[in-house]
Formats: sequence, C-alpha cells, structure tokens
Amino acid sequence: MKKVIFYLLLITGALIFIYPFVWMISASLAPENEISNLTLFPSTFTIDSYKLMIDKIPIGQSLINSLIVSSSVTLGVLIFGSMVGYALSRMEFRGRDLIFYIIIFTMTLPFQITLIPQYIIIVQFGWVDSFLALIVPYLMNALSIIMFRQYFKSIPQDLIDAARIDGCGELRIIFRILWPNSVPALITIGIITFMASWNEVLWPLIVIRDESLMTMPQLVTLFAVGGRAESQLGVKLAAAVMLALPIIIAYLFFQKYFIQSMASSGIKE
Amino acid sequence: MKRSYYYKNIILLIILAVILIALNSCGNKNERKGDSLIYWSSNNTQEIEFANYITEGWNKNNPQQKVTFQPVPEGQSSEEIILAAVVGNTTPDIYSNMWQGDVEAYAESGVLVALDTLAGFLDFISTRCDSSVITEITSEDGHIYQIPWKINPIMLMYNVNSLKDIGVNKVPSNYGEFFSSSAKYQKDTDGDGYIDRWFGYSEVLVTWWQRFFDFYPLYLAASNGANLVKNNKAVFNNEYAVQVFKFLREMYEKKYFPMERLSARQDPFLTEVISTRFTGPWEIIHAEKYKPKGLEYSFAPMPVPNNHVGPVYTYGDPKNIVIFNTCPNPQSAWEFIKYMIEEKKDLKLLEMTMQLPRRKHIEINPIFQEFFKSNPKMKIFAEQGNYVRGTDTAPVLKEVFDLISQEYEACVIYGIKTPEEAVAAAAEAVDLLFIDKAK
Amino acid sequence: MLKKQLTPYLLVSPYLLHLAVFVAFPVVFSIVLTFHKWNIISPMEYVGLTNYVRLFKDATFLKSLINTCIFLAIHIPLQIIVALFLAEVLNQKIKFRGFFRAAFFLPVIVSGVVVTILWQQLFGYDSGMFNRLLVTIGLDKIGWLTDPNVAMTSIALMATWKNVGLYIVLFLVGLQTVPAHYYEAAELEGATHTQKFFKITLPMINPTIFMVVILSTIGGFSLFIEPYIMTGGGPLNSTISAVLYIYKQGFFYYHMGYSATLGFFFAMIILLVVMIQKRFVEKDK
Repeated sequence: MKKVIFYLLLITGALIFIYPFVWMISASLAPENEISNLTLFPSTFTIDSYKLMIDKIPIGQSLINSLIVSSSVTLGVLIFGSMVGYALSRMEFRGRDLIFYIIIFTMTLPFQITLIPQYIIIVQFGWVDSFLALIVPYLMNALSIIMFRQYFKSIPQDLIDAARIDGCGELRIIFRILWPNSVPALITIGIITFMASWNEVLWPLIVIRDESLMTMPQLVTLFAVGGRAESQLGVKLAAAVMLALPIIIAYLFFQKYFIQSMASSGIKE
Repeated sequence: MKRSYYYKNIILLIILAVILIALNSCGNKNERKGDSLIYWSSNNTQEIEFANYITEGWNKNNPQQKVTFQPVPEGQSSEEIILAAVVGNTTPDIYSNMWQGDVEAYAESGVLVALDTLAGFLDFISTRCDSSVITEITSEDGHIYQIPWKINPIMLMYNVNSLKDIGVNKVPSNYGEFFSSSAKYQKDTDGDGYIDRWFGYSEVLVTWWQRFFDFYPLYLAASNGANLVKNNKAVFNNEYAVQVFKFLREMYEKKYFPMERLSARQDPFLTEVISTRFTGPWEIIHAEKYKPKGLEYSFAPMPVPNNHVGPVYTYGDPKNIVIFNTCPNPQSAWEFIKYMIEEKKDLKLLEMTMQLPRRKHIEINPIFQEFFKSNPKMKIFAEQGNYVRGTDTAPVLKEVFDLISQEYEACVIYGIKTPEEAVAAAAEAVDLLFIDKAK
Repeated sequence: MLKKQLTPYLLVSPYLLHLAVFVAFPVVFSIVLTFHKWNIISPMEYVGLTNYVRLFKDATFLKSLINTCIFLAIHIPLQIIVALFLAEVLNQKIKFRGFFRAAFFLPVIVSGVVVTILWQQLFGYDSGMFNRLLVTIGLDKIGWLTDPNVAMTSIALMATWKNVGLYIVLFLVGLQTVPAHYYEAAELEGATHTQKFFKITLPMINPTIFMVVILSTIGGFSLFIEPYIMTGGGPLNSTISAVLYIYKQGFFYYHMGYSATLGFFFAMIILLVVMIQKRFVEKDK
C-alpha cells in the first residue's frame, strides 16, 4: 500500500513537470476565447493561432536561421576545440601550461563585462545584422577545450604513434584517429554546444535587428514582448510551441545523451 | 600523400571562406538602382499606397533623377531599423517616418543633412509652418534637420449618446466636470460586486510611449504647451505636472478608470464599456468599420485643470521627413520632398491615409474644405492642429519618458507616492541623466 | 623537424587569435569605455569619472542588485531542497526511474523563452491557472506578477521549476558515490531513514551541494530573459535584474559608456562572490 502511494506521489511530481507543456500545446490548438478555460481538451481543435502566427512573423525563416547558426557554431567548437585540446593533451611545447591556465581563467570571466565591447567590435567589423556576428564569437569555447583535453588524455599513445609512422599529418590524426575514438566526447560537447547556441537570446537581441535574420528564440521573444501579437494568447503560445518542438523532439530520441552531457558539464565546472 | 593532404586543406579553407562571405552578405542591404534616390516610407498599407502614388508621379516628370521607394524593413520597430541602418552605414537617402523625438540624437551625430542649407528651404518652410513650430524643429546648433510632415493629435473621443443618457449636456472640459460625469457613468451592471462600466480608460502600462496617450497630452493641455526639458534640465517639476498626476491618480483611485487590461477583449469603446478615450484620428477608420448601429461619437480637446485659461494644447505625435548624409544629391532630394508635401499632395495624403498634414491654417485653407465637409471629424483634428506640440529638443527623450513612467507607476497606479513626490523624483532622475552635459 | 615544433602553435593559434579579439581586447576596452560616453552613432567622448559618479547615485541600479540578491536568496535554497529531495527519492529502488528522471529534466532543455511565456499565462491574474485553482479552493487571488512584493518570488519559483531537473541529476551522481556499506552499517545499528539521511548522506554529498550552490549563483547572476519577457522589470522595478538593467542602459537608451561601467562593476561583484564561495568550499576540505 505504501508503495502505491509512493508511486502516486512520484507520478504527481512528474506531471508537475510535464503537464504545463501538454497544456501549452493544447491551448495553442484551442479557439482564442477558450484558452482561459484551461481544460486539456477544448471543444474543437483549430490551427487558427498557428495560421495567424505564420502571417505575422517569419517563424519558418527563423527556424532555418537558428539551424544554420547553431550547426555552424557546434561544428566550429568541435573542430577548434579538438585541435587545441589535442595540442594541450598530447604535445609538448613551451607555453602549454600557460595557455591552459589562461583558458581556465577565461571560464571564470562573467560575460557581463565583455558584452558591450563585443558589440562594438561587431559594429566596427560591419557585422551587425549578419550571421557572422552570431557565429564567429562563439566558434571557440573554453569548456570544450578542457573537455577534449581531458578525454584525449585517455586515448592510448600507440594509436597516435602508429598513425604518425604511417606519415599522417597532425590534422589528419585528429580527424581520422581521435574523433572516431572520442564519440562520447563529441556527442556530449556537441549537444551542450548546440543547445546553448539554440537557446541563446541576449546576444542575437543585441546584434540582429533585421527580422529576416533573427534566430527563433529571439523572434519569439520579441513577438511575446512587442505589440504584434495584439494581446492574443493563442498566437504567443503557438510561437512558444514552435520554439520548443525541435528540442523536445530531439530530446525524446536522445534523452540519455542530453542528461549525461549536461551532468558532466556541470561536474567539470 | 602529403601533397594531396595539403591541397585538400586548401580547398577546405577556400570553401570555408566562400561560406563566410556568403553569410556576410545575407540580409537586407540597400539596393540603389543606377543613381536614383532611395526613399523609405513607413510600412503602413495606406502610406505605402501614397508613397507609390508620389514616386510614380515624380518619376514621370523627372526622368533624369528617379526615385525608388521601399517600405522600411520589418523589425522590432522602425526606430530600431533606422538605428541599425545608421550604425551599418546603409541608410536610405530620404526617410519620411522619423519620429520627432529621435531627430536630435541623429542631428548631433552628423548623419542628417542640415536642410536650411539647401536652396529654397527657408522660404518654403515659412509657408508651411508658423514660427512656434519652426522653433520646435530647430536643433540645438541652430540648424533645421527635419521637415514636419504629419501629425496625429491626441484628443478626447466621446460617446455622444451615453453622455446624454447620464444627463451631461456638454462634453466635460475640465477635471471637475470629468469627475462628476465619471461618477454618474460608473456602474456594476451584472451585480457581481465589481464595477464593469468606467467613464474612460488608459492602459496601465509602464512602457515609456504609453505616456503619449495619458500624461503628456494632459500636461501639454494644462500648461499651454510647456516643455518637459529645456537646456539640459528638467523643467516639468511644476504645478501642471502635479495636477495631471493628481487627476489621473484620482481617476484610478475612485475606479473611474479601470486597472484591468481591457485591450485583450473586444474594443471597449465600441461595446460601450467605456464612454471616453484619449486617442487620435486613426481611431476614426477603426470605429467606422466596427461600430454598432446607433453609436455616435465625436472628439473634443483634452480636459484641463479647473482654473485653466487659454487654448488647449495636446501632443501631436509628429512624424517628419529627413535626408541622411549618405545621399549623393541632397538638393534633388529636397525637390522631391517639396513635391511630396505641396498642397495638392497633402490633400491626397489626407484622403488616402486619414492622417493630418502639419500645415498651418489647414482648417481654413480652401483646397481642403471639400474634404473637411465630407469628413467633419477630421476638421476637429485640423483645428486642434494649431495647438499641437511635438517633442522637446533632447537626444535622450526615450529615457526621460521612461523615468517619468516609473514615477507615474509609483504614484498614479500604485498610489505609494504623492504627486508632488513623484514629479520631484522624476525631475531629479532626469537631471541625473544630463549630469555630464551640465559641466 | 621544424614543422613538428611549429605544429602545436599552429593548432592553438586560431584559438589564441579568437581569444585576443573576443576576450582579451573586450576586457581591456571595457575598462577604457567606462571613462567615455558613447551612443554608437556619435564619436566617443572622454568624460573621466562621470559614469562612476552616476553609478553610485543610481537608485535603480542598486534596486537591480538587491533584486538579484532576493532572487538568489529564494531560488538557491528552494532548488537545493527540492532537488535533493527528489534525487533521494529517485535513488531508491524504483521502477521506471529513467522515465521519471527524463520527466524532471524536460524543462531544463527547453528554452527559457518558452518557459517564461508558459508561466506568464499560469501567473495571469484574472484567468491564470494558479489563481483559478486558488479561487476554487476558496482562497483569494494572488497578484503573482502585479504585486511588487510577490513578483520576484514568482520568477524564482519559475526558475526553480525550470532548473531543478539538472540539479536532481547532479545530486543523483553525488548520491551514488556514497558507499553502500555505510548505510548497511547504520541499518545494523537501527538507524531510521531520516537519521541515515542527515548523518551519512548530507555530509558525504557536501561537495555536490557546494557545486550546486556555485552553479546556481553564477546562473542567477545572469537572470535576464525571464524578467524581460514576463514583467519588463516591473512592477515598481521589483523584478529588474542587474543584467536587464545593463542591457536597458546599453541597448534601449544607448548609453554605451555607462552600460559598460555597470557591466564592469557587476562583473567584479560576481567574481568576488564566487571567490568567497570557493574559499568557503576549500576551507571545508
């Protein structure tokens, strides 16, 4: 009996975390005047809110923008992170330890201090309202370097030596030897980076003003805050659902990886 | 093997570079067709039609200096887009939707052409505007960087029949009359203990631009058009601002104005939930389209303190035309603008967009009489047009209104400060804004 | 031979270049900027210490710092208690643990924007779910976002809901490092569950608790998008966070110099707090 109550409580707990999302989806499909009713099943399902939303904001374009930006950033972080991680973990050279400490130090810098000057640099380069502003500052990332370095340390030296004897250049070693043997690290860092980039809002709000270039969270934020939604709940919820959907779908398939990735990043801090 | 490895790398780098360059050129950049001038209009449907009409007419008569127009690109607000264009050096040549409050900052930074240096400008401007308006649009350095184009004066919209119903014969013109009419109109129609009919309504938003619909027009009305800021100091710490705060506070306290957000429901004025509203001429188009049968409405000047003398001013929400200094031929740009705002085109503007040109004595100008006969409500606005103020000359107006809004919130909405305290605190905060200029 | 010596430098040089442009230079420039006035469209103007003078007279900035502290004071303890409790529950032998863990973790991966829009509806005064529930059980409605004394708490509640999943997972990892024989030994001596928890579990997972505190603190200091969407900083500036105010000064009013000054000052405060927290952790070891 105690077990039944226990599981009931646990299920209630899980519902607290899931139900609001379910409600959100259902409310976005409900007619406008029923949204306040908060029942899970409205009288009719309608996609009016979605049609209105598509009319008002280029949500599809923003999805593509976000995909382009986040994929580029993730690719860049994986490539450059593994390059530096490899150099720091497997090579001997002067300044190696110094660079390592500098990297650790940059991780402690709060972003609030670099925000404005980074914007000014973007202005000077003429990158305002361009994807370069969204991608380049995030192409390299201290955490990824630390994680790659950690992981590469555990790869057997023989593997690398064998490749060197075959005449492989260093870059080839990284991409042909290390990467295939570091799939867990790649997945972890890839997921963390992609998610962080996808959900980033403050930076796009600062450097992108042109609607056709906005990322999805940025567009939905401005839609929710500005007057374009004209106080209609349905459209705002529809926009929120669109924003949540891609990540939730990815999560449904790759839960394990998501959870493991974020847990290990926390521990590394 | 090593050779091909290097070549592969180089090809990869080239591909990367191409992608980067392609990414950089994504986005709206100005397209100058040949050496035509670029004109940005607002992206309001009727104004786009008007801009089309104007540019077609101009290009027919002036093939040697064509003008291409495009509506301002979409963004969070047109002000943001213009700022991004200024920062990115992609400004158009002519822009017609510039809010007067933004001009000073741009003028100070040198991105606007000083119009008084163009031939024919000063003569023209005195036929269009009277001396007080000319003073209003002159910048701190003595030059003029903007041409007044159109205004949307804020007035009191009222429901004619509902006033008669409560026994009020003349639309309330001062605070006292406003209070007594409000008391009569207030009702709890469904008996649930909560009032659901209020005399008027103003959004309880703290957003800075909301003050253009409550505090600022009332302040201008009470003070006969006084400044908020002058010579880098706050000058609104006076009896007028205090009286306005007191008036609005009492309206909320006595529940003559609702604290709820009525904007999410159907139009409260047309459903007679409220009987008055502070709004502008754009409301006419909306009301004509959606009003129920039998609803009669009209417009009157903003209410003033009981002891007020003189004409009643209000806020005009002026939009002006500017020429950016990236323009290759400012003199031609000026000729185009002159073409766009001469009398017959002003009439066309009225007819197509229902927005009032900022032209002196428009209400007695013979060219417009026909129009005003068939649109008597617009005549009321035209008459008010002689007593309209725009904004003061200061580069930090947004923040001034934001600071006033915060004290407005504390006093009028939450009642935790007296009007005197709130106005004084706002003035102090505004003075802090100008702290470095005071040196 | 030379190539072999150069290679590591070649590998790290893109990163160092990036670091110089996007980290080192901004930090230096940020300090320079605090002595200037700039609104992006005009040239920069040297103003000496004016920005600092203004900072110390700025009542709203002080309010934003206080708000951030209030947020942390509510959010961190709440987070730890809830996360620890749920982690302890999940640590028992239960079926479908994976499902429950995934459910708790769901809000963590979703964008803060989605969570804020969602909770804005839940917190609605007239028709939000919470107030409706309160009314049906006979209580008064609460002004979740309209009452200046409650608004920040509401945001802290929402932030806890969003992030607790991550900390549950972190605590789970920590709980699993406690050797099983400690519990077995305690059971032999007749210890109850509660005693086991407070005498064995808590002390053993102290490092995890500290880590959670430090992570939540750094996260809490970056509070921005939630108040931006939900309340815009109101009512009566009760929810304006430090980052929101810095953003407003820089990108709403275009006082770049002043905004950089605020940002620099705030960053120093964060560094100080984190250093103190880390010292605390070290001392304990």
